[in-house]
Amino acid sequence: MAFALVRSALGAIKEKGLKGAFRAAKEEGYFAALLDGNLANSKFRIDGVKLVGVDKAGNRYYEKMSHVQHGRHRWVVYADKVYNASAIPPEWHGWLHHITDHTPEQLEGLRPSRYGVEHMKNRTGEGEQYIYHAKGHALNPNKRDWKRYEEWRPVE
Amino acid sequence: MAPRCRRYSLPLRRSSTGSAPRRLASPVVDSASICGAGSGVAAAEGSGSRGLHSGVAWYAGIRGQLYEGKGRGKDGSKQVSESYKWSSGMSLGGVRHARTASVAAVGAKFTANPEDCIEVSVDGSNVTIAKGMTVLQACEVAGIDIPRFCYHPRLSIAGNCRMCLVEVEKTPKPVASCALPAMPGMKIKTNTPLVKKAREGVMEFLLINHPLDCPICDQGGECDLQDQSMVYGSDRGRFIEAKRGVVDKNLGPLVKTVMTRCIQCTRCVRFASEIAGVQDLGVLGRGGAEEIGTYVEKLMVSELSGNVIDVCPVGALTAKPSAFTARSWELKSTESIDVSDAVGANIRIDSRGPEVMRILPRLNEEVNEEWISDKARFSYDGLKRQRLNEPMIRNSEGQLEPVSWAKALKTVAEAAHKVNPAEMAAIAGKLSDAESMMALKDLMNRLGCERLWVEGNGENADADLRSNYLVNTTIAGLEYTDACLLVGTELRHEAPLLNHRLRKAVRNSRAKVASIGPELDLHFKCEHLGNSSDALLSIAQGKHPFAQVLSKAKFPSIIVGSGVLQRSDKDAVLAAVQSIVQQANMIRDDWNGYNFLLLNAAQAAGLDLGFVPGARAPVGDKSSIKFLYLMGADDLTPEDIPADAFVVYQGHHGDRSAYRANVILPGVAYSEKEGTYENTEGRTQQTSPAVPTVGDARDDWKIVRALSEFAGVTLPYDTVNGVRARMLAVAPNLFRVDELEPATPLPKESLPESKTKLESLPFKKVVDNFYMTDAISRASKTMAQCTAAFSSS
Amino acid sequence: MALSWNIARATSTKASSASMEEARHRTLEFFREACRALPQLMDRYNLDEVITQSQLRSKIAAQFRKHAAVTNPKIVDMLVFKGKEELQYCLDHAKQRHHLISTYVVGSEGQVALKKLGTVDHGESKFLKNFYQSNLF
Repeated sequence: MAFALVRSALGAIKEKGLKGAFRAAKEEGYFAALLDGNLANSKFRIDGVKLVGVDKAGNRYYEKMSHVQHGRHRWVVYADKVYNASAIPPEWHGWLHHITDHTPEQLEGLRPSRYGVEHMKNRTGEGEQYIYHAKGHALNPNKRDWKRYEEWRPVE
Repeated sequence: MAPRCRRYSLPLRRSSTGSAPRRLASPVVDSASICGAGSGVAAAEGSGSRGLHSGVAWYAGIRGQLYEGKGRGKDGSKQVSESYKWSSGMSLGGVRHARTASVAAVGAKFTANPEDCIEVSVDGSNVTIAKGMTVLQACEVAGIDIPRFCYHPRLSIAGNCRMCLVEVEKTPKPVASCALPAMPGMKIKTNTPLVKKAREGVMEFLLINHPLDCPICDQGGECDLQDQSMVYGSDRGRFIEAKRGVVDKNLGPLVKTVMTRCIQCTRCVRFASEIAGVQDLGVLGRGGAEEIGTYVEKLMVSELSGNVIDVCPVGALTAKPSAFTARSWELKSTESIDVSDAVGANIRIDSRGPEVMRILPRLNEEVNEEWISDKARFSYDGLKRQRLNEPMIRNSEGQLEPVSWAKALKTVAEAAHKVNPAEMAAIAGKLSDAESMMALKDLMNRLGCERLWVEGNGENADADLRSNYLVNTTIAGLEYTDACLLVGTELRHEAPLLNHRLRKAVRNSRAKVASIGPELDLHFKCEHLGNSSDALLSIAQGKHPFAQVLSKAKFPSIIVGSGVLQRSDKDAVLAAVQSIVQQANMIRDDWNGYNFLLLNAAQAAGLDLGFVPGARAPVGDKSSIKFLYLMGADDLTPEDIPADAFVVYQGHHGDRSAYRANVILPGVAYSEKEGTYENTEGRTQQTSPAVPTVGDARDDWKIVRALSEFAGVTLPYDTVNGVRARMLAVAPNLFRVDELEPATPLPKESLPESKTKLESLPFKKVVDNFYMTDAISRASKTMAQCTAAFSSS
Repeated sequence: MALSWNIARATSTKASSASMEEARHRTLEFFREACRALPQLMDRYNLDEVITQSQLRSKIAAQFRKHAAVTNPKIVDMLVFKGKEELQYCLDHAKQRHHLISTYVVGSEGQVALKKLGTVDHGESKFLKNFYQSNLF
């Protein structure tokens, strides 16, 4: 693995130059991975790895079937640098947690067409507009109409 | 064991020798006295009119129908109200009133026969019952409640649910008690292990195909099957096969069907053919494939169709307009009176918070039994739409704008003072209560105006003789008629419940009915004699064959529709009617067969209060009116109202006249006030407020009272009891709530002099569309759907 | 942390004021304290919708002026203590929004004014007065 890493690093330097490769590595989050074990575990595993799919948010889902500890053969590389597990949509959640072996593309036919909203990650802490206020809550902009009759208005 | 005396209801039977119904006794009477020789007559005299109902029910018994005194309703409350009525019947139907006394006199001709009593033993105690009662009724008399689904006291016996199984000694297996006549000395057991096991078996079979959807079922909480499975149901099922599913039927915009829930009790089928008189529903298939349906895709066209919802013991038939809106336990029930027609059916308004969620019938044997019309039941959604909720004045640009009460009342008072009293007029609408009509009459009289009338009574109504404008046979008493002539009335549309009573007379005692007027299928056999006054004249002159039918009849009657009041030759028609009445000897000491059928809830009280034009009031020409006070009156077209007239509209709905109004004063609807109404037979009843008033609306009499202060003619009452005290002085009968005040029959000599000549005009339809007759039903979406769905019929 | 500090401050008791001068000093101190708490209260109870901060400050000043005639330092101490207690309740959210609105924004004299609103006595009868008020009489 280490050999493959060095080889790909050298390849990058050869292609972009030392400075360019350094900047690219920083943007891709390789240096952050040095401090973040989770990230490192997903970033530096490139040998025999298969990219299974990419979801709408850009999260990439990988699989490695051989020479791997049992239960650690599927993982996700988040699109966001500040990642959050809630970014995984439900269809990929099933694959990622071994609930199903089918990818969302294979399960597309089962997707209910009439209801269901687009998945959204947890936006806690990102602003007032993302906080859910129940109907009738003082901060809910849609005020409830408690009037139970319809008044007559003369035709103008 | 010594026989125990029990109070019970005793059905009457028709004498096997004579055609006259033999009167047995009162429903509430000691068994000892009934069996004592000769005491039955005394009991009959004291019992009032109530016993007669049982008597008619017995006619039905000839046809295999049996009447049971105590009905089991769809829910507990119905039972409670029934037993309440039962006990109060003693005072209501007492001999204090001349009407009931005369009915009792009719009954006195029939004699009680002690041989008609038998004794049976129920769970070891002896009860004395009438011959011909069923085992189930014997158990009811003994105070034992037998579970049942298919049995309904007002319908014929089907005996197909098998839930009412009891054990009878010397029978090999349990028997269905609803269909088995009780025999003397029969030993009935209702609480043995065999009975319990048998009922549990029946319940298990019923639940095989019944879905477990109680949590989403509208009947949940008031379902007979749910209640009885609490007692007889198993805690687990043994059925592992697939349940069957049944395609839902379309019965129109009122009745929702979930046919998978049906347990094939056939109550709805029997209701449709026996009560509503439409042969639309039936049973199709056998065994597991058995289902209820209309044979062909067809709507059930009946004004009483909503009652199948109450009759259905499970959630197969539920109310479509109130589907999924409320559960029965979150509703508050208020006992009230229906005002959609002049019958004054007793209703229960079920409300949640400020909303009326549904309307159900309340039991009153003398008015509506346990049925109400579809308009009464389903027009409640009109109470939530088009409501007037604040006073408004038409400003200089011709727009109505909201103002304060003080300003609105001041404007009205100023306008009233500007015009000559002879140029003023006041019209009370169809739904006006007696209190507000009293206040309005007092106010207008104090302002010098005498031109008052109630919608439907006509502008020159005659309130002199009370018997001239009431249903004198009484609504319940119409069942006894054996020949009836309908004059200018579409009974089925004008008063569906009265039509049902007449239908009962036709079904039970083969009464002959003929009709002169617009042709309409009344759902029973009725000879149509044409739609012109010529037929009426030929009956009056005795030339017509139906004149002989009437004069030979024992209890002849005539029903005159209030459309007659709109005719120019009103006096001549009424004179012809009076001569028919005299020739057929309809008015006797024991029977008054002259019926005038009113159309609107306000009419009878308005006539009793003298809400009619005074002697000096101009009649006819409306162009002279400069100030018009409309209290919920919407029948005037804009062309009838002069352009320069100042129109005050006091009402609860923005209906037709609100568009023409100069000032709008928001009043309250019948579901929001305590108002006195008198029905077409002269029975005073009161509504009670079920929901709060909307917006800034005020009680109608209060508005008139406040206006009187602005007009400088303050009325001398501040409270509703003050108004009622004033009503007591004018029409004492309006003070006696829930009592029938019979009219003194017309003296025979006083044949009214006809000033006009009978014209050969057809009788006009007065009810264009049954589903939309007043402001509330016109605002109702459900009624609009009914109009669209049933307009072809 | 802030809460425990607040509680400690609220419950700290000093010896009663020896003179009127000291009592006056304590009163002014408390008024300043209340004024400093105002932005927090405005935010916490969403009072911006019903009142501005300066208006609220003058409302509170009015509460102080109500007791201008008190000359006994012990009574002043007692009033200050009660005021501090009240302030602490407000800051701890032991009260709800409508409590603050009814006691400070509308005020007791305001309640009376509200009731009188639209019912100016024109010498009409009792019936009419009730009639204007509601249908329930």
